[in-house]
Amino acid sequence: MPIVIVDGKEVEIDGQERLNGIQVAARAGVEIPHYCWHPGLSVVASCRMCLVETGKKDLQSGKITMIPKLVPACQTPASDGTVFVTESAAVKNARAMVEEDLLLRHPVDCPICDKAGECSLQDYHFQHGREERRADIKPFHSRRRSLGDTVTLFVDRCVMCTRCVRFCREVAGTRELMVAHRGAHEEIDIFPGFPLSNKLSGNVVDLCPVGALGDKDFLYRQRVWFMESHAHVCAGCSTGCSIDVDENQDRIYRLKPRENLAVNQYWMCDEGRYGWKHVHDPGRLAQPLRRRQGRAEIADWTALPAELDQRLRAAGGLTMVLSPFLTVEEALLAAKYARAVDAKARVILGAVPEGAGDERFSGGFTIRSEKCPNRRGVAQVIRGICGEAANWSDLLDSSPSSASGALWVAGGYKSDWIDASQAELLRAFPLLIVQDLFPSPLSECADYCLPAASFAEREGSYVNYNDRLQSFGWAIRPPAGVKTEARLFWQLSQREGMYRAETVRRELAEEFVYFSALSDAVPPDGIDLKLNRIAPQAAGATAEMGAIG
Amino acid sequence: MGSSSELLLAADSSLSPLLLQAIVKIVVLIGGLMTAAAYFVLLERRMAAWIQDRRGPNRVGIPLTGIRLFGLGQPLADGVKFIFKEAYTPAHVDRWMYLFAPIAILVAALVVFAVIPVGGMVPAVPGLADGGQPISLVVIPGFDSGLLLVFALSEIAVYGVLLGGWASNNKYSFLGGLRSSAQLIAYELPLGLAILGVVLASGSMNLEQVIARQAQSGLWFVLAQPLGFVVFVIAAFAESARVPFDLPECEQELVGGYHTEYSGIKLLLFLVAEFLHMITASFLIVILFLGGWHFWGITGGPDAEIGWLQSLLRVAVLLGKVFLVILFFMLTRWSWPRFRFDQLMALAWKIMLPLGIANFIVVAALGEVRAWYDPKFADRFWEWGLALPNWVTLVLGWLAVAYSGTLVTDNRPQRTSRGSDSHAEGFS
Amino acid sequence: MRPDDPKIRWVDEPKLGITGRMYLPMFAQGLTTTFKHLKRSLAGDVLTVSYPDQEPRIDAPLIYRGVHRLNRDEQGRVKCVACFLCATACPAHCIDIVGVESPWPDREKYPQSFTIDELRCIYCGMCEEACPVDAIELTSLYNLTGRSREEMIFDKEKLLSVFDATKDTEPMRSAPTEGTNA
Repeated sequence: MPIVIVDGKEVEIDGQERLNGIQVAARAGVEIPHYCWHPGLSVVASCRMCLVETGKKDLQSGKITMIPKLVPACQTPASDGTVFVTESAAVKNARAMVEEDLLLRHPVDCPICDKAGECSLQDYHFQHGREERRADIKPFHSRRRSLGDTVTLFVDRCVMCTRCVRFCREVAGTRELMVAHRGAHEEIDIFPGFPLSNKLSGNVVDLCPVGALGDKDFLYRQRVWFMESHAHVCAGCSTGCSIDVDENQDRIYRLKPRENLAVNQYWMCDEGRYGWKHVHDPGRLAQPLRRRQGRAEIADWTALPAELDQRLRAAGGLTMVLSPFLTVEEALLAAKYARAVDAKARVILGAVPEGAGDERFSGGFTIRSEKCPNRRGVAQVIRGICGEAANWSDLLDSSPSSASGALWVAGGYKSDWIDASQAELLRAFPLLIVQDLFPSPLSECADYCLPAASFAEREGSYVNYNDRLQSFGWAIRPPAGVKTEARLFWQLSQREGMYRAETVRRELAEEFVYFSALSDAVPPDGIDLKLNRIAPQAAGATAEMGAIG
Repeated sequence: MGSSSELLLAADSSLSPLLLQAIVKIVVLIGGLMTAAAYFVLLERRMAAWIQDRRGPNRVGIPLTGIRLFGLGQPLADGVKFIFKEAYTPAHVDRWMYLFAPIAILVAALVVFAVIPVGGMVPAVPGLADGGQPISLVVIPGFDSGLLLVFALSEIAVYGVLLGGWASNNKYSFLGGLRSSAQLIAYELPLGLAILGVVLASGSMNLEQVIARQAQSGLWFVLAQPLGFVVFVIAAFAESARVPFDLPECEQELVGGYHTEYSGIKLLLFLVAEFLHMITASFLIVILFLGGWHFWGITGGPDAEIGWLQSLLRVAVLLGKVFLVILFFMLTRWSWPRFRFDQLMALAWKIMLPLGIANFIVVAALGEVRAWYDPKFADRFWEWGLALPNWVTLVLGWLAVAYSGTLVTDNRPQRTSRGSDSHAEGFS
Repeated sequence: MRPDDPKIRWVDEPKLGITGRMYLPMFAQGLTTTFKHLKRSLAGDVLTVSYPDQEPRIDAPLIYRGVHRLNRDEQGRVKCVACFLCATACPAHCIDIVGVESPWPDREKYPQSFTIDELRCIYCGMCEEACPVDAIELTSLYNLTGRSREEMIFDKEKLLSVFDATKDTEPMRSAPTEGTNA
């Protein structure tokens, strides 16, 4: 195995890996500051922040020959015997000089800059900058201009790392951004009349190491240090991007992509990024409603589960519809409960919202046309419980004739998903229980209308288009009056204590072959459930390795 | 006593003059004591404020008029507040004992005054006196074992405190009660020893006789038995639980001590009783050691003719002395820090008790010597001359205390040389 | 911490001399101090201020910490740039700001609403320490009262009106910054 030496420490790397100095140093626990380099983009080595000393150790004699000049670590490949020195006086001086140069033309307006608190320039200045300023610079005001519907450019805050330009060229493939002018007058800009309008545009804000690019949706809303990040999974489409939900006091302020090389790498689409607004929509159902003789009244959660249970058992037959927005844990609890109430209960996969087809970008990122996060997971749970997975259209086709017993529709859809004519068909059921985020023609005629949880309030796992299961905890608490599906079904199944996703996952892994790769600790980037199909015996061991990696 | 009870019984239709006299005395005394306690509280608060560079309560005057009267309405306002507070009894207390404790302590504190003279005699008042006899300014005149009664009743106060602490069912109250009982019992001994000297020298336990004795010789017992005086004053401070002996209720350690769980009127009873203890102690100090109503050249001897001017002067002198002693009590409160409990006990058992015994022995021995040379106890030379050995005793006793260093204790954690060395080695 | 911890520095208690152990000098010392203060107070030299009759004298209004005010800039606009640093510094969490893009060309961000709960505030002055533009200041108004909780929640207009009322008696603590808005 090749050995690289970073600050005297030997790091073993895989011979197949192509790593640069920054990556190798990170494995040695050394952080080399950088602006322009990003693991998901090409290397330009323009910011000069990652300058280090490098050399080669002669494998025979053990003699080390250093290169006399400093080189950018991002551009220096690590191979057997490569030596990096990251903490020498020359390196420190180089970093201090770069910081000083960047700050010469930077408006020191951190108090009103939204990036303050997560700004590389700020952090590196404290870590690597000079203790005192040598130039007498007055703080000034940054020029700003709009780059498109989503992004504002603060021209003078820019450090010209060109990450955003490369992103538009390499990942989005739309090439809207460019560098205008030359030398000290360089600026990021768009060509007049061609705004930044691709569907991945929000990523340039995350990429920007300083406060030059501001997300119009988030700008001025909240300071970053007030927010807490919660690892979550996007519910926008079946890609299931790993995301961070940034919230403060149960209010979401933004979603950001979380690195997951197996799913979304470092990116997410704007549709998902701004797709959290429905969570705080004032039109959300927030109280359980009971309808008697056409009049709706607010029910009380303390007595409601027992009442529902009694009505369902008395209904003589149960059809349960599970939406693809439920987590697999919720689907399992619901399906098991349905079978406990009625041993022949029909469990049906709810309507799957479809878009206009997959959108693939030149960098490989794909927005799926299946606009729900967990069709596969819910379908597999239903298949495991009932043996076959009937879908929504089957129900609509068959319901007018066989409408007997109770119908429970677990919805949780972000937008309109059912029209009046479909709802009219389902009215035939004597007992109709609808659980949804927003009022719909169906909820208008339900005997019980229960508020559902949004994706950020759920705890559980989603299975994406590629059979990858990712687990997450809740990011915000549901509004008062809302009980998450998981808690409701847990309570209805008469289980002990509070809902615990781990317990349900253990059941899934034990009872269903499809989920057998699932282990207690799901790693942050999820588990590939296809592993079990390749080698069912080795599945557990591989999942463990995944956890370590 | 025998004759007066016969007279009381002889009253047929109307109240006998003696009974009427006793009732008047009781009413005046209780009224006077309660008022005095209330205004002494105000005085104490004003004193505290002055000593701490503040103004103190100076607002409450006549209601609705805006007239402030230097805050003289404050005691009334305080009383009204206490009385109209919710009579709250915590659920966890022993109800009957909880109610009984403040009553017991107040009754005991009041009854003591039955034998304490507030002056000498006043001339007969028609309708109150029996056959033109001068009226004695004590509720029970001629009660020979007055001092014994005082002691017996002041011991009852311990029951009040202990019951209050026990019945409250609260650890702070209980600790306060325990401390209080230990303290009161410990200081009862030096108190008694100091009084024994006075009893020996005056030949009576009747407080009127004690005053008469001092007035006759003109030599107050503070001059004749200075060591006894010092022991008595310190023990009296401790008995009335005043700073620096207020451990039963020290706020920093025990919240409120034995009355933590009390509020409203029940708390008021406790507070009044505590103040009455201080007043009792002041009376005893004045009567036993500071000559009672006697003052040289003003009040005359015990056998002088009883006139109104003379009588009122004597009352004024006695109450004036008491007032000054109470002032001293109050000044003390803001001058010295509180003792630690081990110091308190050491002071009682290791210092006050030996000094009290020494005083008692010296006084007894000197009395014997005097009886040898001056059997009639009339010679002024012996009277004044024998004071000198007592002063010598005071100085010697005091020096002995100082050199023995009994109170100088260090209860901080002690460093062990071995421990610190091994610790250092362990890490080197 | 154990008694033999090497980090403990042991200080020996000074030994009492014979005068000290006789207690009399201490006795006299205590009583002297008491009398000194008693004499001073009886002569009328007390520290208490009889408040409603007599207004307290605040010698240095610039260091007194009373009601907040929001300063105005030279053009009469609120000086605050909605940076949230005061809300960040506030230990009582009594400041609530909603920042939006400013309507003025020379300013980027300004507070659409700026609310201080004066009842929740502990008057520590951390907000004015934190403010990068000296927009929030504590005045020397000490007699702040109200009849309801709602009344004591000061909004931007009220805080600006406090500035208007106090700007003559208490000038802004910093010189106007030339063209610096951040």
